[in-house]
Amino acid sequence: MSHAKEAELFNNDEAKVNWHDQALWFVRNKRDKAAHTVKGWEELRNLASAIKANVLSNLDEYLVEFEENAQKNGIHIHWATDAEEHNKIVHNILLKNNAKKVVKSKSMLTEECHLNPYLEVNGIEVIDTDLGERIVQLAKEPPSHIVLPAIHKTKEEVDVLFQKHLGTIPSEGNPQYLTSEARKHLRNKFLKADAAITGVNFAVAETGGIVVCTNEGNADMGVHLAKIHIASMGIEKIIPKEKHLGIFLRLLARSATGQPITTYSSHFNKPSEGKEMHIIIVDNGRTEQLGREHFRSSLNCIRCGACMNTCPIYRRSGGHSYKATIPGPIGSILSPGTDLKKHSSLPFASTLCGSCSDVCPVKINIHEQLYQWRQIITKDVKQPIVKKTVLKMTGRVLGNSKLYGFFGKSARFMLKHLPKSVINSQTNTWGKARDLPKVENDNFEDWYKKRKS
Amino acid sequence: MSRESILSAIKKNKPEQVSLPEIDLGIFHEDVDLVETFSKNLESVGGRIVSFNRIEDLDAEIKKRYPNAKHIVSCSSESNLATMSISNETEPHSLECIDLVIIDAQVGVSENGAVWISDNDFIVRVLPFITNDLVLILSKKDICLHMHEAYNIISKRYRTFGLFLSGPSKTADIEQCLVIGAQGAVSLTVFLI
Ligand code: SF4
Repeated sequence: MSHAKEAELFNNDEAKVNWHDQALWFVRNKRDKAAHTVKGWEELRNLASAIKANVLSNLDEYLVEFEENAQKNGIHIHWATDAEEHNKIVHNILLKNNAKKVVKSKSMLTEECHLNPYLEVNGIEVIDTDLGERIVQLAKEPPSHIVLPAIHKTKEEVDVLFQKHLGTIPSEGNPQYLTSEARKHLRNKFLKADAAITGVNFAVAETGGIVVCTNEGNADMGVHLAKIHIASMGIEKIIPKEKHLGIFLRLLARSATGQPITTYSSHFNKPSEGKEMHIIIVDNGRTEQLGREHFRSSLNCIRCGACMNTCPIYRRSGGHSYKATIPGPIGSILSPGTDLKKHSSLPFASTLCGSCSDVCPVKINIHEQLYQWRQIITKDVKQPIVKKTVLKMTGRVLGNSKLYGFFGKSARFMLKHLPKSVINSQTNTWGKARDLPKVENDNFEDWYKKRKS
Repeated sequence: MSRESILSAIKKNKPEQVSLPEIDLGIFHEDVDLVETFSKNLESVGGRIVSFNRIEDLDAEIKKRYPNAKHIVSCSSESNLATMSISNETEPHSLECIDLVIIDAQVGVSENGAVWISDNDFIVRVLPFITNDLVLILSKKDICLHMHEAYNIISKRYRTFGLFLSGPSKTADIEQCLVIGAQGAVSLTVFLI
């Protein structure tokens, strides 16, 4: 199903969509407030972007340096070209250690590899321990947001889910009660786990160590109790030096939720005595993306989720409508790289307003890359007729670079001048429930500045 | 071999060499009251601050805040409140019942209320997470301005396991309602001397 069709489903419950929209906008505002309290915020973004550019241009050397340093500290390093190999490596480590129960903290990479179902058919229990992830796991759903996995669920839905699976009493969705019950439930799982799987936020070439960020402390509870720690990372998680963490940790949580830093920023450099630590370095299409000149900077993403919170389409269509591991603007750039046909509608799930690029802490030109994908897709993939019509008109507008050289400007022009019947056509289901965001004459920054003052 | 094929694919596909940027920390400098900003930020993330002047008063101050704590582990030489002793042989699962853990912190970061602690300070890694309540003892003179300074200060350490900890464990995963006490410690108090 296309993104538009999925979005239509999400829009059936209007009250919920409105809540979703406003909740994420609220997070976006918290991000703004947090950013404005930091002296030199823009310089931090520039540095982060420049460091990531350096990383991509030396990625092979940094990975080798990372591997050497990690091995010196007794960490086992594995390499996986794709999801299947990654899952096999995890399974083998578990088999060797006779590990049957696994606790896992948030890791979009293991989602991408569909690790849980793979381990489950092999008789291994995998428990997601981030509260939001546990909620969606119990509901047998994928996360709908990379930072707020259960943002699409109401507290009443969580209540019913916990009654069924954790035996809680009805509480009309009391978050305090539900969280404390989840705490007890997960404590038990932590204490019984044989192995802990975590993601990696940053891997430092210079030291061979990794940093994992959580608010709940679930990664640490898992790792420090279990005998085995397996951390999965994409090849792009490398940063050159430990001091660069100063830059990225200042940006990450502020961009994600408006917190000044995550509660726990744990630095794992050496396993404790008698325990094993494994790191799996995964490609799964990333080297291919590295070779695409226009799209390679999408690999710089630090998974803060800010582009989702700010995106008018994401907020009103929900993460599941993207049918991709990473939803939202950045996901719409990453996913077509893995399967162009399957994800061909995603780069169209955007107004090209550019708000994503404005908030991105590593300054990825997200909306420009969305536009680039549209160019490729309209050439290579058959489009439904209605989209073609819109695109023809878009193409005409965008094509005239003298008049409308900048994509954002062109999109604004399109919204203003195309008849509503075309904009709110079937390709734009998110526009059905209400009118599209009002288009101002000013560019985004002017408008934004005005709004703030 | 996957390692070789990944590395050679990177070599083939990577962009032209881009050099690392120079970092001018002057841009981030601010003249703020470090202790005051640290305290304000720690409180905003759900932590508590207790300022006191004489190290001899420490135990009394802690007792006042945690009168009901029974199972106490102290990793600080300044506190005599421990009711259980631990060593690096201690089985982490046996620490499930701990009410209170007391740890000496090394660095405070004023910009975000975070505190750096490492397993040199708490021996058994699971301690600051599995305990119900956590007390950190921090000297006012060890508070620095921002994360760049903090990384500079800890750069010479022997690297095993350590973390920046900012407030108690928390989640907002149920309808964005903030709840303190998710999986880790449900309260964090920093005793500032
Ligand atoms: S693309 Fe940028 S804004 Fe979006 S999740 Fe990644 S780092 Fe955050």
